[in-house]
Amino acid sequence: MSQHTPSPPSQPSGAPGRRVLVPAGTLAAAGLAVFFLGAAGADPGRAWQAFLINFLLWSSIAQGAVLFSAVTRITRARWSGPLDGLSGAFAGFFPLSFLLFLALAFGGPHVFPWMHADLHGKESWLNVPFVLARNGVGLLILYGIGFMFLRQALRLRLAPAAGGTGVRRLLAGGAPADAAEAERIQARMTRWAGLYCFAFALVLSLAGFDLVMAMDPHWYSTLFGAYHFVKAFYLGLGALIILAALLALRRGGAPGLESRHFHDIGKLFFAFCLLWADFFYVQLTVIWYGNIPEETHYVILRTVLPPWRPLAWTVFSMVFIIPFIVLINKRIKTVPAAILTLCSLVIVGLWLELLLLVGPPLNHGAAELPLGLSDAILFLGFLGLMVMAVSAMLRTFPELLPPAQPVRS
Amino acid sequence: MAAETHVMGVFRDEGQAVAAITGLATAGFRFRRAHSPIPSHRIQETLTLGKSRVGWFTLAGGILGFFTGFALAIFTSTQWHLVVSGKPIVSLIPFFIVGFEFTILFSVFGNVIGLLVCARLPDTKGLALYDPRCSGEHFGVLAACESGRRGELVNFFREKGGEARTFE
Repeated sequence: MSQHTPSPPSQPSGAPGRRVLVPAGTLAAAGLAVFFLGAAGADPGRAWQAFLINFLLWSSIAQGAVLFSAVTRITRARWSGPLDGLSGAFAGFFPLSFLLFLALAFGGPHVFPWMHADLHGKESWLNVPFVLARNGVGLLILYGIGFMFLRQALRLRLAPAAGGTGVRRLLAGGAPADAAEAERIQARMTRWAGLYCFAFALVLSLAGFDLVMAMDPHWYSTLFGAYHFVKAFYLGLGALIILAALLALRRGGAPGLESRHFHDIGKLFFAFCLLWADFFYVQLTVIWYGNIPEETHYVILRTVLPPWRPLAWTVFSMVFIIPFIVLINKRIKTVPAAILTLCSLVIVGLWLELLLLVGPPLNHGAAELPLGLSDAILFLGFLGLMVMAVSAMLRTFPELLPPAQPVRS
Repeated sequence: MAAETHVMGVFRDEGQAVAAITGLATAGFRFRRAHSPIPSHRIQETLTLGKSRVGWFTLAGGILGFFTGFALAIFTSTQWHLVVSGKPIVSLIPFFIVGFEFTILFSVFGNVIGLLVCARLPDTKGLALYDPRCSGEHFGVLAACESGRRGELVNFFREKGGEARTFE
């Protein structure tokens, strides 16, 4: 959030209205209904599996998108322009993410398949109360820091005379009284941004180890945590681009969002496409060289054996091969409709990747992929929740939207 | 066809050089080249150059390098048949590293070759139409015209605030 103008040059417009909220709410309600029906039905494991996957996916999207503005803040980046404000809007999903995390406590063995397994001495680390407590505290810290960072950013965006009550007052406080206070807020904002980056790496590593890698409690990869948070940033960038592209398409010409913004963030997205593949390959190579059965079974199960093999290639194509080839082109990064399609493809690919990671231990001896209509509806339900959360933030803080007129940074 | 002559306008000011470049076409002269002692965005924008083709050389180099790396690794492995830890002789997973490194290497080669080709280097005749002051603090604008209009071109550059240097 590097535009630190107490009074924006022109009033932003385009906060999502009823036309967005009604379908989003319908999707969320449908997803919730499908989950409860599934959890109370004959195969609750399937519903909880979809819940866990979507919790991980959509929480990572929110966490990664907010990381974008934290990173641009501590690097003093000026190229990001209005994208900084938009990334802050994803913090609206933080409270929902925390509530959804708490709901995992009711999943029992459907979410923690190691609950009744012989853990060979890992019981002191892998027990449900401790897993929930440490991840819950971690998420609280991460989200707390995220909101503190956002608070400073919002204060700098508020017009001097801007009033506000309720959530607006609680989250943003007031505009700085003078230039000296604005400078102090900027310095504070940089500190919170640094803390957010640090907490992001730690908490997402922990979540990656505890909620994904521990599904198979006898397998481990020391790089898995880093892989998980790199993926979260990749996801966050994708979601941010989608939001910016939607605004650009809706406004017809994107007055505040210029093609250079799409080009620059498209390059960053491309870089994280490569980094995701790099982290995947680095783990694969070490396991391949070591050739230890305790490690190789994890990869063989997911990439060689049916029914997971086709899914593995689908994921690799959607998350790396297709984006890599497409994003080499400069122009495509600047066309909102094209980049929106590509980012959606990557997000769906990473949703399937989570199924590939957590699916096998939850579906021992599966003859076919545990993927169907109910999973798709739950995915759309979480999408609805995310749309509602982001819309609520943008309606409460229209300052986060790109200004109606282009701003030269 | 009338013989062509070259005149270079030498300017101390970047704005004057930009104005000269802009005015050449309307005055009916042919712009040839611009020299700048600094990377000048204003001159770059005035020239309205097309998209550089260097990237295509880089891409071609990268693709060629990727397959060359794999080919080299496969070729050398099949020459010795040393089985390590029971792994296949031709193992694509580790060979990817060689493929990746060669991609980078050949991309750089492609880039440098592309730069040389697109900039038409080495240019053995280049110094014949050059003023050494352009490596110091002057901007040079080289233009061509028919021999009979040489005086007009010289006057054009002088009107724009520069010094005119004629090349035979």
